Amino acid sequence: MDDGDRPVVVSTGIAMTGQNVAFLLVLVVAVSFFSYSIQRALRTLRVGLPEQRLDAPGRRTWNLLTIGFAQSKILRERGAGVSHAAVFWGFLVLTAGTAEILLQGVWPGFGYEHLLPRPLWQLFMLSQEVFAVIVLAAVSWLLWRRLVAPPKRLQGEEIHSTEAVIILGVIAALMVTLFTTGAFEYVAREGVRATHFGWFRPIATALGGAFGALSLGTAETLRDVSWWAHALLVLGFLNFLPYGKHFHVVNSLINVWFSNTSGPGTVGAMKPMDLEAEVESFGASDVEQLTWKNLLDGYACTECGRCTAACPANITGKVLSPRKIVTDTRDRLREKAPYVVGELDVEGSAEAMRLAPGAQAVLDNRLLDNWITEAELWACTSCRACVQECPVSIDQLEIINELRRALVLNESRFPEEVLPTFESLERNGSPWAFSPADRAQWAEGLDIPTMAEKLERGERPEILFWVGCMGSFDDRAKKITVAFARILQAANVDFAILGQEETCHGDPARRLGNEYLYQVLAKGTIETLDRYEVKTIVTFCPHCFHQMGNEFPQLGGNYEVIHHSTYIERLLEANLVPLQTEHGKRLTMAYHDSCYLGRYNDVYDAPRETLRRALPVVNLVEPARTKSRGLCCGAGGGRMFIDEKEGKRINIERTEELVATGAETIAVACPFCMTMMVDGVAKLEADVNVLDISEVVAAQLDPAHERAPLVAGD
Amino acid sequence: MANVLVVAEARGGALKKVAFEATTAARTIADASGGQVHAVLVGAPGIAAEASKLGATGADVVHVCEHPALEQFDAEVLAATVAAAAGATAARAIVVGGTAMGQDIAPRVAAKLGVGVAADATEVTMDGDAIVIRHPMATGKVIATLAASGPVAVITVRPGALAVGTEARAGTVQSLAPALDPAASRVKVTKLTTGGGGKLDLAEAPVVVSGGRGLKAPENFKLVEELADAFGNAAVGATRAVTDDGWRPHSDQIGQTGRQVAPNLYVAVGISGAIQHVAGMRNSKTIVAINKDKDAPIFKVADYGIVGDVFEIVPKFTEMVKAARAQR
Amino acid sequence: MKIAVCIKRVPDMGARFKIGADGASIDETGLKFDMSDFDEWAVEAALQLAEKHAGSTVTVISLGPDSVQETLRKALAMGADAAVQLKAESVPAGGFAVAQALAAELKDGGYDLILFGRLAVDSAAGITGPMVAELLGLPCATALCKLDVQGTSATGERQIEGGVEQLAFPLPAVCTIDQGLVVQARYPSLKGIMAAKKKPLASKPAALGGVGVTITKMELPAERAAGRIVGEGADAVPELVRLLQTEAKVL
Repeated sequence: MDDGDRPVVVSTGIAMTGQNVAFLLVLVVAVSFFSYSIQRALRTLRVGLPEQRLDAPGRRTWNLLTIGFAQSKILRERGAGVSHAAVFWGFLVLTAGTAEILLQGVWPGFGYEHLLPRPLWQLFMLSQEVFAVIVLAAVSWLLWRRLVAPPKRLQGEEIHSTEAVIILGVIAALMVTLFTTGAFEYVAREGVRATHFGWFRPIATALGGAFGALSLGTAETLRDVSWWAHALLVLGFLNFLPYGKHFHVVNSLINVWFSNTSGPGTVGAMKPMDLEAEVESFGASDVEQLTWKNLLDGYACTECGRCTAACPANITGKVLSPRKIVTDTRDRLREKAPYVVGELDVEGSAEAMRLAPGAQAVLDNRLLDNWITEAELWACTSCRACVQECPVSIDQLEIINELRRALVLNESRFPEEVLPTFESLERNGSPWAFSPADRAQWAEGLDIPTMAEKLERGERPEILFWVGCMGSFDDRAKKITVAFARILQAANVDFAILGQEETCHGDPARRLGNEYLYQVLAKGTIETLDRYEVKTIVTFCPHCFHQMGNEFPQLGGNYEVIHHSTYIERLLEANLVPLQTEHGKRLTMAYHDSCYLGRYNDVYDAPRETLRRALPVVNLVEPARTKSRGLCCGAGGGRMFIDEKEGKRINIERTEELVATGAETIAVACPFCMTMMVDGVAKLEADVNVLDISEVVAAQLDPAHERAPLVAGD
Repeated sequence: MANVLVVAEARGGALKKVAFEATTAARTIADASGGQVHAVLVGAPGIAAEASKLGATGADVVHVCEHPALEQFDAEVLAATVAAAAGATAARAIVVGGTAMGQDIAPRVAAKLGVGVAADATEVTMDGDAIVIRHPMATGKVIATLAASGPVAVITVRPGALAVGTEARAGTVQSLAPALDPAASRVKVTKLTTGGGGKLDLAEAPVVVSGGRGLKAPENFKLVEELADAFGNAAVGATRAVTDDGWRPHSDQIGQTGRQVAPNLYVAVGISGAIQHVAGMRNSKTIVAINKDKDAPIFKVADYGIVGDVFEIVPKFTEMVKAARAQR
Repeated sequence: MKIAVCIKRVPDMGARFKIGADGASIDETGLKFDMSDFDEWAVEAALQLAEKHAGSTVTVISLGPDSVQETLRKALAMGADAAVQLKAESVPAGGFAVAQALAAELKDGGYDLILFGRLAVDSAAGITGPMVAELLGLPCATALCKLDVQGTSATGERQIEGGVEQLAFPLPAVCTIDQGLVVQARYPSLKGIMAAKKKPLASKPAALGGVGVTITKMELPAERAAGRIVGEGADAVPELVRLLQTEAKVL
């Protein structure tokens, strides 16, 4: 450092020293390179398909404030969440200080003290130190966790741990140099000690006191060294980001704003698909067939692994890891993009690159198969736990669904045991090969009108009871059907069923990637519903509930669809269901959340409330994973129709957890969950009942007030 | 006077049971119109020794066609010879056993004669001049009655469906030359592998015994295997829960994601009857369920159920099935 | 190689059938139709052979009313190259009338191989294939569970009662395909369905021959009796065995 380079301590002019000029050069180079890197990365997003994500700016900004700035999802996990939030908020506060420092590098006289009233400036200075201490503490804890006691989700091959440690180290170094710069300045510049140090800079002041023995010259040099170290670290950090997973720092807030996983729009609805479009292929088998937003997800991911830790398939030893889906997408994009969009600074470079040796290998590869395998895709239960957990609103499931579509629609590739399901859906309008004529057998002798009968009498019922295929054909689920019908009758609800006119709406086909079959079935169902001018539908199957309520609008079917948990709760609240007043002994019950009811539709309280209202003395207990964190039963995403050959069975994992609550009864609100829990209980040979919430309520019906004595459908 | 020609199938130098069933059916037709039953018996030299058995079940004349090359089945020679014999005997009807061989030659004979086939009869009667058969179609869900009119009627009879008559006739043996030189036929049987006796395929076994979670442990599947052995013609199946748990191979799974079966008898041991399983076995002709839970859905699809401990019931059942079969 | 596959449109066998007003047909209202299983396997076998022998074409032929075009489109979606509908109001029984119409269409087609399913699952007769072979004067191998083509000849295997026959025959020939020849028929992809819309589908009147066999009546088998619990515990076994012997007659 130049001796004559005596800095002007407090100056109002722009008198630049040699150091300032040097730093200006460094700053210009650093900022240019950073902007180049950003443009280069963002340019790769042009590989993806266009998608409109500018709707509902208000909702998006709300997401940014809550999920982004308030870190609401990060904080779902205690330890790491608080630490991350501390670093994040620390960064926000310290960025103001960093800006001052960088400006001072070129404009020595700059300082917030000239802009702010003194008390406010003092508070600002205090905030810098306080947050620096907080960040240092959080980073130390995070480093300890990563190096000494890493949780499962931070172990394994796919994790870039070295990078994480370097980044944490750099952050720690930034904090340390921030303090040392202040401390050496305290020693070196006696003139400002009185005004610039004190209670509002406790650490710099204390440290400076400790360094009091240093000579002025040494202190001055050390101050400069500290300052340069800090500034260079900031700029280096900035320029390192776009090249590793910590690009997340730049992209996550942007991603949260653009994401639809917490709205706007219908949460969990699969992407609409135009089957008439003149396209060469359907779904996505490589990055070009994903949207820019799917690709941005890759840049927003910091590989924290919360998605994978929540994934029921991964937990039970399947090959699927939602994190790998996202990082594979990102890495494949980085591999392929140069051949598609070329390099930023070389005109026509994509064409040239495609001729280079080795190019063919990259072009022959694709995301599907070469990066993400079929086995991973079919392991997914579409439970949405990954999407729910992601702190930066990445949509792992959308990528999985698009890849499944490509497999089925372009190549007819799916587990062989799925074929009977597709064929039955085509031929019988149900995933199982039962005769459509037997659909309403459960209703025989129960005096339940069909829509057709109602119409003949010139009546239009208030609600349509949509029974669903499980409720029509599975002998266990038929008991739920009858129980719910009894409740409706006891409450004098004016309802009807479609009877033999009901067919599957195609949701299983859609989840299994067969969009074509789905649309055929869904359009058929919408036609039937519209023919009867149906307005309100009640169903006890969360999959029907979600499909008809949230996805039918894509095809022009608009109905009010209510899940029976909500419907019964309303009936109970309005005192319309005649219940016995005797409740017998106090039951301990654990309610198992259905994914399509909970995470897809945010219905957590209605089933619990229904149980409490029906059995005021019930003791409701919660399993370890519950509500939005509830573990899937294993049947979603079409897994009901795929064998589970690998790892532990998901339903066993879940049943164990439910049985461990000590509950005598497991309550469910989904016929698929029912079949999985019944099997789990049988396997564990547990002395536990599995009941649908409507069965619990029906058992409490006051026989004196039931409209007609009913016999279950046998 | 309307004669009836019957094709008497022989394998390995011996007549098959279906040959007698066909002869009896032919007798019914011939008697209704006062005609004679002519049987065609084709095989390697020495097959003539079987001819008398056809007389014993109702054949008036047995045309024996012996040729060294006819040791193996030869559809082209057989069809040509039968068609020629039909002409020679002025047959009004031709009855063929509906075996692999019969299903192969009957349509060819019919085509040569320019008529259709009334196939797979489980009952043969006469209605005036027409031969009337009953034929289960659409996997047995519909029973059709077909009438064969026209100059000649060709019918195949389902093996095992018709009784064997005891009304003996002369069974006069006449020799018959092949209507086509076996050397000229184009489809050659290059090898015949008999027996094999390997494991019965689930889809084809007349009886299937399946086990589920109620067996509690993989080693208890021997109960199911023993019961299957007792039936003699049974294959062993399992539920998905059990195959996913690795108790049994996935190829044994019966249900939506496994095999779909429709045997004459299906025995469900310790199976609750979830839709996944029922979808694969509900078309079985007779279903027996054994389960400890009287509310188990399997009893809804079962024809006969026993509620109770499978570990007591199944061994007893095995023992009694063995005894019943030994009696026969 | 030029391959033809004759396919039939049949009602889904999972349905609960009703008898038509004439008492001699199946009431088709509410029934779903699809290609007969055995025919699907025959199409699959043809497509696999075509994939193995470069330059092959697969033509599918179906006889019946215009609704069979849907079945033909499915075969095209699976990968067949061309389709022919032999238009007829219905499919007559007995096989011979149909065989004559098919033979007339196939006669000058120059096919090396003509495939059928072993039987149509609705009429369950299995007679049309060999009849067509006879009418065309071609060799015929029925109920094949294995088929290999080598140049101008082929080998196959078929299951007979108590054994397996290995066959050898020259081409052109007619073969009927049994279960087991292919693992399962391919599922038409959406891509295939789109492509099928652009493939040729010819429709011409069927030259049906004489009939000779008529369906005079159709009826449903006796309703299955409601299930019942025979008893509890091992003591109920003798009664169960008795019922299996005397009532169900399966023992």
